[in-house]
Amino acid sequence: MTTIETTRPQPVSAEPEPIMSVQNLVQEFVTRGPGGVKAGVVHAVSDVSFDLFPGETLGIVGETGSGKSTLARAIIGVDRPKSGVVRFLGRDLMGLSKRDLKRARKDIQMVYQDPFGSLNPRWRVEDVVAEPLLGHTRMGRHERRERVRELLDLVGLNPDTYARRRPMELSGGQAQRVAIARAIALNPALVICDEAISSLDVLIQAQVLNLFEKLRSELGLSYVFIAHDLATVKQISDRVAVMHLGQLAEIGPAEEIYRAPRHPYTKALLDSIPGLDPETGIAKRPVPLAGEPPSPLNPPSGCRFRTRCPRAQDLCAEVEPRLVEHEPGHFASCHFPLEDPATFSVESLRDSIRSTGTAATVVAPDEGAPGPAGADIDADEPSPEAPDVPDDPDAPLLLGQTGEARRGTDLL
Amino acid sequence: MTDLATETRRPETIAVSSEPERQPVLTVRDLHVTFSRAGRRIHAVNGLSYTLRAGRTLAIIGESGSGKSVSVRALMGLLPPSATVRGSALLGDTELVGMSDRAMRRIRGNDISMIFQDPARSLNPTMSIGLQITEAIRTHSDLDKKAAADRAVELLKLVRLPAPERRYHEYPHQLSGGMRQRVMIAIALAANPKVLIADEATTALDVTTQAQIMELLADLQDRLGTAVIMISHDLGLAASYAHEVLVMYAGQAVEHAETNTLFRNVRMPYTKALLGAIPQLTTVPHSQLTVIGGHPPDLAALPSGCPFAPRCNRATEKCRLDKPPLDEHEPGHLYACWHPYLPGSEDEPVPVDEETVS
Amino acid sequence: MAVTETTTKALLTPVQPGLFGERWAKWRRRLVVWVPAGFVILLVALCFLGPVVLPIPSPTGGSILDSRLPPGSPGHLLGTDVDGNDVFSRLLYGGRSSLIIAVSVNVIGILFGGLVGAVSGYLGGKPDTVIMRALDVLIAFPSLVITIVIAQMLGPSMWNTILALTAFSIPAVARISRAATMRLMQMPFLQAAELSGSPWWRVLLRHIAPNITPQLINFAMLGMGIVIVTEGALSFLGLGVPPPAPSWGNMIFQAQQNMSATPLLVLWPSLALLLTVLAFNLLGENVRDELSGR
Repeated sequence: MTTIETTRPQPVSAEPEPIMSVQNLVQEFVTRGPGGVKAGVVHAVSDVSFDLFPGETLGIVGETGSGKSTLARAIIGVDRPKSGVVRFLGRDLMGLSKRDLKRARKDIQMVYQDPFGSLNPRWRVEDVVAEPLLGHTRMGRHERRERVRELLDLVGLNPDTYARRRPMELSGGQAQRVAIARAIALNPALVICDEAISSLDVLIQAQVLNLFEKLRSELGLSYVFIAHDLATVKQISDRVAVMHLGQLAEIGPAEEIYRAPRHPYTKALLDSIPGLDPETGIAKRPVPLAGEPPSPLNPPSGCRFRTRCPRAQDLCAEVEPRLVEHEPGHFASCHFPLEDPATFSVESLRDSIRSTGTAATVVAPDEGAPGPAGADIDADEPSPEAPDVPDDPDAPLLLGQTGEARRGTDLL
Repeated sequence: MTDLATETRRPETIAVSSEPERQPVLTVRDLHVTFSRAGRRIHAVNGLSYTLRAGRTLAIIGESGSGKSVSVRALMGLLPPSATVRGSALLGDTELVGMSDRAMRRIRGNDISMIFQDPARSLNPTMSIGLQITEAIRTHSDLDKKAAADRAVELLKLVRLPAPERRYHEYPHQLSGGMRQRVMIAIALAANPKVLIADEATTALDVTTQAQIMELLADLQDRLGTAVIMISHDLGLAASYAHEVLVMYAGQAVEHAETNTLFRNVRMPYTKALLGAIPQLTTVPHSQLTVIGGHPPDLAALPSGCPFAPRCNRATEKCRLDKPPLDEHEPGHLYACWHPYLPGSEDEPVPVDEETVS
Repeated sequence: MAVTETTTKALLTPVQPGLFGERWAKWRRRLVVWVPAGFVILLVALCFLGPVVLPIPSPTGGSILDSRLPPGSPGHLLGTDVDGNDVFSRLLYGGRSSLIIAVSVNVIGILFGGLVGAVSGYLGGKPDTVIMRALDVLIAFPSLVITIVIAQMLGPSMWNTILALTAFSIPAVARISRAATMRLMQMPFLQAAELSGSPWWRVLLRHIAPNITPQLINFAMLGMGIVIVTEGALSFLGLGVPPPAPSWGNMIFQAQQNMSATPLLVLWPSLALLLTVLAFNLLGENVRDELSGR
């Protein structure tokens, strides 16, 4: 059970009141074998808590089985969670009657992963966007039409061209824009984006991300942005929560998470992303995380990440770690969290590379080279340990900084 | 901290590329694929050429509609009857274009094989995975059942599937996505093909699994000397694992070079745009990404000039009228552009207002 | 429009080439919908308006003296049957009955079966289980038993036949409707509809119905042929349309008894049946594409 040990995290902005507060949310599904006999329980979401503040974007990152989509559905009320509280705009959504829930829904909307799946193929664009207006307001037909035009403009679709079209006449990016127009039709307080750009082309993804930002500033929206990798949420999030097998592994300000992740899983996720710097053309070769993800049907005892964690100890199997605050607003649930790699930063790396004039540094995988860019790196940088880390859990394990770390399994 | 330390894929590759001993295993020359649908002709691939050498990985990058998937399916003979393939694709000494179905069936899986994006769909859910691999082995060899089964287990070990003997009897639904993809790789490599095509093979996988699978492929390439064609839309992936990168747009190659060369000196505006669209560690959060508006051209009605011209902010009249040829403007770096980004020339593209969604 | 056509997935999906190649494909598509449609229209016109407009003798009450006249005999285009009734006339009037029965059964089937299935799929959970089990019970009864019972209770007539046949049509359609609805329930747009505050009736009417209707219509088209033939089988049991009133089914079964002596009497109604079923099947298969292609 990951519970917040310290006081509630400090808000990112000056606003004290969160618009949404999720507390101890639990969602489980019963799997049935043949004949309807209960075969097992899928622990989809296990005791997750976090707050969301007005105007902020919270990125939720997790891989398959992390429970992030289940979490989204539980928050929005589509699947009733087994237990827990979801406080939205001051009201507990769980305790609401169906009618009140419907009214509360006015303020939360969702954009889905499949742009075509979220639009009825037989409806026209203007009907799709007008649907929430029909369901929640008493606007007249003319008013609705006006509002639809307004919304289409907002998302960058010319109403004269697109209003009468059907989904099959749209591209993926255009369809997603329609879905977004529908989501903001009622000017909600919160929009949940469930992998909203994952199925779009690269260039279109950038367009839609820009659109999200634009709407955020123009309409004062808050987002929960769910994605399966950290690169996608990076651009758009103020805070990022990393989920693993139904639990919150880490949550904190986006910059911090990327610069100084505390939880080994977060680090592993970051290392798995093939990075490419467009300016210098330098590529970062991913460091794979060994082992198979455990099944949510049978999560490992204690810390659920321990079967793949290079820092795992006996304690990790016995005691479940709790969310501990490392810096203001930055929490991680790990018995042996990573250290802050101090002054290391992208800028310093770039500068050092430029100053020495070497655009490419070659690190042969067999060398245990002290630092990525040769000897020019800031000398304060802690030198990576040789792979005997388990003896010294507080020493920084900088996975990915050396070619050695590729053999992650050897460290166990 | 995810540093941007360069870990070039193989430090010795830069020298190796000019090694004359690396045999070309696949030579594609002027490949054209056209589809006839309802009276229209859709030009999916327009004059694609490249040479693939043993033990090397070529990444073909493009968005949807670029023709990357269609081009490799043409090589494998996996296109529907409405497709017409012209040009040449020499696998060793064998010409793949125009090959009969029967001959193709012998080659497919044997000399050239493919793994797909969705392993769940490519594996038969009603057969145990061991049986599927064994079947693949026996199709291309004379081994008896027992020998084939043993080889199957060997293959499972090769692809680092945990507990291979047990998995042999399991069914696809009992395996995770990453494991299924490993099984796919095992099947694809059963006959030790010269060329392995990975068509968006890791797109549907988690990042951590993707890293594992790519690592596995790299390792297998080292061990078996297989040439790999990697189809993807992910530039970062290509940069990390490929020796050469070929960028496709509207059915044609628009830039092609060794990985390092290409990414350090991007010339073609489309490639630059692709790079610019990737959210980077260093971009200011909440800033607007540099994007280009518009969408890829209609393949049934390709413009006469450069296909990228309508969206390119460096385009001139010449670009619209005259299609730039793919030439080796610099040693080892081919591109098709009249106004490439050359060092010294005006650098950053002006961010086009992304509202111009036409 | 162009966008979807050139996606890789669309390109790689094999398209049926016409018998004479791609150039004919467009025409073939048109033909394969409009020829059967034309036939059906012609058939309906003939059967319902024909006897009114054309000088056709009565289908019943023929005299034994005229029995078994060959086709081409004066006043009898296709000859007469064993009882001396004009075959052509019987075909037309029989067509009326058969078509009325087939259309009624299928329309009622789609409306009720479709509704029940959609509601069941939409509600899910316990209500769904209850409804489906109830339908299963209906199907489990031996069909002949039910029909005989109904016929005994109500007496053989066209409307009772329709009633009996809908008892089978409804559960069959309900099954399909439910499956289609459940597949639809997975789609995010239904969830989005819920978030948009659309009430259950709007969801059923405007979201679910338009998306499952093509499948149901398709099924109904195929069902036309089945119903006509089944009605004929019922005649055999003394149910269905009671003689001497004609229906294609009972014409076939009556003539079948003397097939060696008068093969033509089997041929005419069978041919009519064949062409009609073929027309409906072709329509059913292809009208869906035509409709959704627009």
